[in-house]
Order: sequence, then structure tokens, then C-alpha cells
Amino acid sequence: MLKKTFKRGIHPKQHRGSKRPTQDAPIENYVSDSVVIHMAMNIGTPATPCVKKGDQVKIGQVIGTANGFMSVPVHASISGEVTAVEPIPYLGEGNVTAVTIKNDFYDTWVDDLKPLGSVENVDPALVIPAIRDAGITGMGGASFPTHVKLTFKEGAVCDTIIVNGAECETHLTADHRLMLENSVRIVDGLRAVMRALNVEKGIIAIEDNKPDAIAAMERAAFGRVGVRVQVLKAKYPQGGEKQLITAVTGRQVPAGKLPIDAHVVVLNVGTCAAIADAIIDGKPLVSRICTVTGCVKEPKNLRIPIGTIVEDMIGACGGFSEEPGKIFFGGAMTGIAIPNIQTPTAKSTNGVVVFNEKDAKSLDESACIRCGRCVAACPVGLNPYKIKVAADASDFAAAEKLHVMDCMLCGSCAYMCPARRWLTPSFRFAKDKITAERRAAARKAAAEKGGNDK
Amino acid sequence: MNLRISTAPHIHHPVTTKRLMIYVLLALLPATGVGIYAFGLPALLLIAISCLTAVLCELIWQKAAKKPVRISDCSALVTGLILALNLPANAPWWLAVIGSAFAILLVKQLFGGLGDNFLNPAMAARAVLLASWPVHMTRYVAPTFFSGVDAVTAATPLSTKSAELMDLFLGTIPGCIGEVSKVAILVGLLILLFTRTVTWHIPFTMVASVFVFSFLFGLGNEEEPLMFALYSILSGGVLFGAVFMATDYVTTPMTPVGQMIYAAGIGLIVAVIRNFGAYPEGVTYGILLMNIATPLIDRFLPRKIYGYQKEGKKA
Repeated sequence: MLKKTFKRGIHPKQHRGSKRPTQDAPIENYVSDSVVIHMAMNIGTPATPCVKKGDQVKIGQVIGTANGFMSVPVHASISGEVTAVEPIPYLGEGNVTAVTIKNDFYDTWVDDLKPLGSVENVDPALVIPAIRDAGITGMGGASFPTHVKLTFKEGAVCDTIIVNGAECETHLTADHRLMLENSVRIVDGLRAVMRALNVEKGIIAIEDNKPDAIAAMERAAFGRVGVRVQVLKAKYPQGGEKQLITAVTGRQVPAGKLPIDAHVVVLNVGTCAAIADAIIDGKPLVSRICTVTGCVKEPKNLRIPIGTIVEDMIGACGGFSEEPGKIFFGGAMTGIAIPNIQTPTAKSTNGVVVFNEKDAKSLDESACIRCGRCVAACPVGLNPYKIKVAADASDFAAAEKLHVMDCMLCGSCAYMCPARRWLTPSFRFAKDKITAERRAAARKAAAEKGGNDK
Repeated sequence: MNLRISTAPHIHHPVTTKRLMIYVLLALLPATGVGIYAFGLPALLLIAISCLTAVLCELIWQKAAKKPVRISDCSALVTGLILALNLPANAPWWLAVIGSAFAILLVKQLFGGLGDNFLNPAMAARAVLLASWPVHMTRYVAPTFFSGVDAVTAATPLSTKSAELMDLFLGTIPGCIGEVSKVAILVGLLILLFTRTVTWHIPFTMVASVFVFSFLFGLGNEEEPLMFALYSILSGGVLFGAVFMATDYVTTPMTPVGQMIYAAGIGLIVAVIRNFGAYPEGVTYGILLMNIATPLIDRFLPRKIYGYQKEGKKA
């Protein structure tokens, strides 16, 4: 079959072996003594806790209610007693409210699970509300509320659903194992969404470095009308939403617009499996698969209740094999470093990677030698070296003119840079600044408008 | 436990600036070796003096300006070596000292150091030496290959057109230390391409451009324009310039298309100077002029940015 791909990008060849320790490790269930479930798991508005200290909760019970459209409810991931409802610091985003639950190990589910039946017969109108009520957000890392993604503005047309099984990040094998061990659920979730949106084409996109996953998904898709597997070249960032859309359909998402403007919706394989669980079993999103790898004694793919503490997961993997220097959630290209091992996981935590002190060492920036490697790597077609000069001078207007807002922070330029310049961190900072300025300007404009009306 | 917090990416390609410079030094090794073999002790001394001066100047400047000392990135060593390879073997030692000091202090450090110089340091230094001491810079000796024959001074083959193509290729003709053996330069090119230090765009486009324009200019004037074009690319500093000097990262455009425009421009200037100018050689000025054009090329060459294509057009 023809392998598809996008322009430019990188081949982190030196880190190709990073998936090896866990790619053949079957998913293991792990349940810890307690979990800390915070309320800001989705992009948008955080949920509001609706339990208090001392309450007994069951698996799947709503412990945080959604606030408006850009929000999803949060569910208890284990059964037991609520021991605390308090703010915790979380990944540099300030404090978020979190519910701590002590496990009673009875594993009792709530009594009122409402399965909607098989994906062939489900009422299409009920699918998207069920996805919202199940608390499903994008499981690939972005945590965008899935029901928002599937609700289109007036006149939008969707003709293709792409299921993202590329897993182009280093170290991670969670999606890979899910495709091997739960392939039918992924296809079921895809079919439920196709039915809900009345879309006839569903494409499961997988990189060619996972032949076993391709075979498993092809078996699961066999005989399912409109569903097929598309093999992609292994290249980073093949699983980036826009790169994936361009590779699979040849279309481009217009700048500043959403995939639906290219008539496509992209869902992660984990999201699809969670959708199938919500439709067929009526179960909300309470667990996920997470790759724990790097400097741990036994790297594993764990199925964990959401909110499991990193320390417990490291313990489940035999402890550290070396003194850790840095731990991050996600792969090495885009992962978020965590401040301590008491950090709880969230719905989007697809990996916990431990680096030793040598790998964690900070790199000194040296002068740009204009070698052009960043330009050759950028999948968006930007000039990273120019944006870096503007961003370093805090000239955000110039950075904006150089299209820094089209940068998706994939890290390809910074990975390639021989001078080890902090390209991606600078762009992240510039993007945050510009977004904040735009918001302030919009607020000001709204306030003035409001003033005129009076 | 003390966990480091930093933003992604958490991994990097193993190639660093220093490693790239070492690749360039490695690629220069064959030309250097043949140069020393061909011209003997004087060549070796010139190379040593030039390299030493370059590194010392960089060290002194960085100490004096209270900047971080970065001589270990090997970039000054590369400049010193390239400059030496651009000198005739019998050039006086002070020529190498002045050239190297000029390259490092005036062309490189005064403009901000590595990455901020708008001219190729070795090339600019060579131009200054050529203008200031034209006799020392153009009195070439024939290679002795330690044969014991006394060195004879001779004019560059470009002005006499006496050398045969094969002699040009193998390097048994008078010329600069590093320029004589085209075989050694091509081995260096292979090293650069194999280590992915440079891409094919600049060297191949520049040589092709010199070939095409020499052929065109030779159509009316030469008996065999094709042979003349072949002769043009093998003589003088075209090949050395295309492989080692026109490919300097700092002073060349960032995109492949920009690099090809740049390299084609050098070829045109070289052919024009050689055929219509007063100088027998034009590689130095060709590269320097296009170095100056580099910011313009980078600025005005449009890039296709994702998401800005016209409606209905496929990617």
C-alpha cells in the first residue's frame, strides 16, 4: 500500500530505540491506594467538585460537574472515601481543585450505568451527549473536550473521520498497545462517531514502524463499511493533527482554522476506545493507558485509574533504575516536565518518562550559525531562526508577522539545532504573550462597546 | 530528589556546532595532506602559522571583550586552515599572520563573532591580501612532490592556459596550497555530503553555473567552448571555493532555493570576471559579492507556509 506523509519534519533516529523497552509489553492493570483527581483536566472551563470530605464514592460517580459547553464532568476512578477536596499546585498552571480518594478495593461501580446498545443501532442523536457525559477529552495529549470537537458550526461539512494511531512521539507505546489489544473497541468508537455525524469515511492512520498494529487494525476494520487503515511513513510529527490531515487527505487546514474547515475530524485511538466504552457499556472515562519508561527498573504499559500518583506508578515499575534528573508527561519532543513525583496523572497523560541526570542536563545556548537545519525541519514552513531573533528581542509584533502563531510547538527545529538554541521555548513564550495581548484587546473592545450601548 | 523543570523538546540531535566544524576539518584533511605533500615544508609552516594565529586572535578577543571563550567550537581553526590553503606555498609567513588576524578580528569578531559576520572571514582576508600584496599572492610555485627539483615560480595556469586538463585534475600544476588537487577536494566534498554537513545545492549549482556561463561566453571566442568550460571549472579556485568557501553556513542563504540562486550568482560573477574582467580569477569576489546578497535572498524569497494555500488547491 502507498505510504503517505507530509513535507519536511524530522527523523529522531538516535531515539528510535526509545520505544523498544515497552512496545512488546502487554498492558497491565494497576490500582493504587489512593488517587488525586483534579478538576482542570480539559482545555476550557474546569469542572466544579460536587463531593465533600468524608463522602463514599463509587467508580464512575460524578465528582465534578461540567461548567458550560467547553467543559466535561469528572468521575471517580476508584471506589472509596473522599479524604480531601483542596487546591493543589499543578504543572505551573497555578492551583487547581483536586479530590483525593482513598481506595476501599471493593471496585464497586455506580449502579446507574446507561449503555446505549451496539454501535450499529445506537440513536445518532444520543452519541454526542453521551460522549460529553462520559467526560471524554482528547486522549492524545491535548485534552480538548471531544463533544466540542464533534459539534460543528452552522454549514460545516465533515466527510472524513481520521483516527490518529501515528504515535510519532518518542518513548510512548500506549496507543500502539491499545491498537494491538483493543482494536475492535477503537473501530467501534470510530463507527459510533461516523453514525452520529453521518460520515461515510473513517480512516485509521498508523506509522509504518508499527506493522503489528497495522495488521491488528486491518483485521478489526475488515468488513466494516467505510472504515480502512492508512499506512504512513514514520516521521515526526506525523501525528500532529494538521500534518496527519495533509498526509491522509492532501488537504490543508487553513491558518487559524480548525480541522473541520478542511472537512475532517481527527480523533486519537484512545479517544475512540473511550467513546466505544461510553456507548456500549455506558462507562465514563475513568482509566487510561500510560507508558512508564526511561530510568525505571521494569518499563511497562499500565492501565491506571485517572489521578494515579506518579510515585505509585514508578513503584509499580520496580522503582527508579538510576537517580532521576527529570520526569515528564508525554514523549520527549513535547512532554511536560513535572516538579515532583507526587504529581497526579490526568486524562491526557499518555506517558511518564524518567531521564537520568546526564540526559536531563540543561544545554547552553550558543550563537546561531545559520546552518538552515531549523528551516529544513519546520513542518509548517516557518523561519525559526528569524522568529527566535524577534522573540529574544521581545519584539512580538515582528514575531507575529513571521507567523509565530502558526507554530505548533512540535520542537523539530529545537531538536535539530546544532547551537542548541532554545527555539521552541521562545516560541511558546511569544505565543502566550501574543494570545494574552489579543485577549486583553478583545476585552477592551467589548468593554468599550458595552459602554457605548448604555 | 531534585527534578529539573524545562520545556520540550527534551532530546536533541547529536550534531552540535563543534561537531560540524570537526566534520569540515575532516573534509579539509585530504586537500591539506596533498598540499603539504606537494609543496613540502613551507606549506606545512604556513598552515601551522595561519591556524595558530586564527585561534590566538579569537582567544585574545574573547578574553579582552569579556565574552565566553568559545575557541573549542573549532570555528577559528577552520577559518585559519581555509585561509592557509588559499595561499601560495612560498608566501611569506607574515602574510598568513596578517590574513588570519584580519579574518578573525575584523571580519568575524568586530561584527559580533560566529554567526554574525556577513562575509566569509577567510574569503574577505584573501581579498585584502590579494589587493595589498598582489605579487606575493599570485606568484605560484609548481608542486615538487619532494622530488628534489628546485621549486620554480610560475604564473597561474589561468593566465597562460598551458596546463592540461588531467594535470589540473590531479594537481600537478602551480597553484594555492589547497587548490591544486581536485581529487582531494572531491574526497572532501564526499565527506561533507556523507556527514550531512552540507547539501549538494551550493557546490553543484556553483560548479554547474561556472560551466554553463563559461560555455556561453566561450561560444564566440574559443575554438572548443566545451573544453574551455571544463577547463574553467577545474582551474583556479572554483572547486575549492564551491566545496569549502561558498558553503560557509553563516554567509549563505537558509533555504535550498535561496542557496541555488546564491550559488548560480557566484558562477555568473566568476565567469564574467574571468572572461571580461582585468583579473584572471574571480572566485573570491564572486563569493564575497553573493555573501552580501545573502540577506536580500533570505528576506525576499517567499516561503510556502502551511495553511495559506489558495482555496481548492491540493497540497
